[in-house]
Amino acid sequence: MPLGAEMAIASQSMETLHREGSQQLDPELLRRLYSYMLRCRLVEERIRVLYRQGRFAGNYFAAVGQEATEVGTTLDLLPEDTVGGSHRNFVTNIMKGVPLTLLFAHIYGRKTSPDQGRSAPAHCGYAPLNVITPASTIAAQQNIGTGIALAYKMQKKPNVVVALTGEGATSLGLWHEAVNFAAVHKLPIIFVIENNGYAESVPVSLQTAIEDLSSKAAGYGIPGVTVDGNDVVAVYTAMREAIDRARSGAGATLLECKTYRWYGHSEIDPAKYRDPAEVEYWKSRDPIPAMERYLATRNLWSDQWKQELTAEINREVDEAIKFAESSPKPQEDEALDHVYSFSIRDRELKRKIWSPKPEGGTSWR
Amino acid sequence: MAVMTYIDAINSALHEEMERDPSVFIIGEDVGKMGGAFKATKGLLEKFGSERVIDSPLAEGAIISSSIGAAMAGMRPVPEIQFVDFITPGMDALTQQAAKLRYRSAGTQTCPMTVRVCYGGGVGGGLYHSQSNTSWFIHCPGLVVVAPSTPYDAKGMLKSAIRNDDPVMFFEHKKLYRSIKEEVPQEDYTVPLLKAAVRRKGTDLTAVSYGYTLQLTLQAAEQVRKKLGAEIEVIDLRTLSPLDTDTFLESVAKTNRAVVVHEDNRTLGIGAEVSAVIAEQAFDCLDAPILRVTAPDVPLLPAAAELEHFCTLSVEKIVAAIERTLDR
Repeated sequence: MPLGAEMAIASQSMETLHREGSQQLDPELLRRLYSYMLRCRLVEERIRVLYRQGRFAGNYFAAVGQEATEVGTTLDLLPEDTVGGSHRNFVTNIMKGVPLTLLFAHIYGRKTSPDQGRSAPAHCGYAPLNVITPASTIAAQQNIGTGIALAYKMQKKPNVVVALTGEGATSLGLWHEAVNFAAVHKLPIIFVIENNGYAESVPVSLQTAIEDLSSKAAGYGIPGVTVDGNDVVAVYTAMREAIDRARSGAGATLLECKTYRWYGHSEIDPAKYRDPAEVEYWKSRDPIPAMERYLATRNLWSDQWKQELTAEINREVDEAIKFAESSPKPQEDEALDHVYSFSIRDRELKRKIWSPKPEGGTSWR
Repeated sequence: MAVMTYIDAINSALHEEMERDPSVFIIGEDVGKMGGAFKATKGLLEKFGSERVIDSPLAEGAIISSSIGAAMAGMRPVPEIQFVDFITPGMDALTQQAAKLRYRSAGTQTCPMTVRVCYGGGVGGGLYHSQSNTSWFIHCPGLVVVAPSTPYDAKGMLKSAIRNDDPVMFFEHKKLYRSIKEEVPQEDYTVPLLKAAVRRKGTDLTAVSYGYTLQLTLQAAEQVRKKLGAEIEVIDLRTLSPLDTDTFLESVAKTNRAVVVHEDNRTLGIGAEVSAVIAEQAFDCLDAPILRVTAPDVPLLPAAAELEHFCTLSVEKIVAAIERTLDR
């Protein structure tokens, strides 16, 4: 799709939804949508700084620019609801209520992180709040998520699964197997496609021949919806409908959020494959100031509130970084733990050697 | 006790485990109305209903992935892959998700799933109904790989696998399903997963195998006794990963000779690992080089009877290897 056309669709839907869809939304809810977007932005920008300062190793995959989608699809989930995200959904942990201290301990690979230093910085999960620890193989989490949704249905629980991927994942066979299975069994799952225009360097035009990825839903017999992924109200409204459907037992929904990744695929990708004008255009559609303007029209915003929020979030981030940096590192041989439900330490560390005894027979040491 | 075939033992374990624990469920192609391609799941749909016995779409990726997710959420899925040859669409799920889930979450997200797979050749199944690709999974820490050789073990180990909190690959050889019968308890019992068995006592050579070829190895041992008077100790690995090394090391330390028998390809088959462990940990006990009896390194198994025969193990091939090793 030519960029201009996408722009036109996007800006149109934003205004339309603001005018028509959000009048019913509670002011407190609108303010929370905003404050969570700000929180996600500040956390990720700080992580990027820490990376450039060399304060943690590995890499990071920021969703900066995509906050409306991250927040709108995951606000107010129940603790027992599951989120299955990819490498770019680190901030969904924040949305699920995982403490910032644990998230930064994870970034730093410390013993205090939920996985005690095993997964890459962006791959954070948290079992107590049902965030699946991500894998780098794309489309994995919505496949596992489909199974969790199957369990919820079998256990007659009122819970849902939110499975997030980029648009690139929709090209994988496993993605189709998962969506099809969820559709056949009417599972309580929402497949969210964060279409940020690029799978690493490959533009969406080389990923698919269709205009809206949500139209793939028709092939499986479930509803498919495309929204402006930079309009948090639009995303939230569409997501609420999908979650209500899932909770009521009516089954899965495919939700495409068209958004944009401000930075490269990761911190080591300068993203030279993109037209700078395109990046500038999308930065001008930053979801955070857009929401500020919207809140202002409803008399729900002030500059002072933003400053207070910013100071509060930054203070929490500072404390979390302090916690992470003062946390112990894992012991080297802890690499042997948590492979199975039983220990393999003896197997790895104590190997017996059998030898013939001079008087006949054998012994081992 | 009742005299049961291997497939009866599997079926009986599934019935009893589903009865015992409502979180156990079955998913796979043809497992419901048809009762499974080999009738392993016969009668389960009628007894437990379509919510717990799911005839899945033709999609191994979805079968395994959905099972992993359900296991994470408190269920104990027992997916069936009709032929292990068909498992490849589920490999990402098995090797990258199931195997790593516990590790990557430091033990907080687990996958108590038992994947039943039918393996093995010798029935003219050709390239896509004959494989014994156990090594794909052995090379994947986090997965437990089990391959019982008798009806008694099949039932007891399947129960253990289902109750175990790790993802288990449960290999059932199609030629074992109806070829042997033995007394199997009708009451509840389990066989531990991580312990090899000495199937035949001997003093002159240790033969190590598992699954169907374990049965061939026992026959070979008997022939060697009749022919040469030599007593062969036969070790049943039972579980291929994690491997119980002590049982065969102890035996080799006593007999000083070893032959390893399996139906998978030679290169990096379990025989390579068993040989390496013996070389590392009991080299001084050896009086002869270790020999492997395996399939050659070709895609398994070619369909024409002559080609299949060349690649498939037999009692004669095992006897020949044992004789060569005894001669050294």
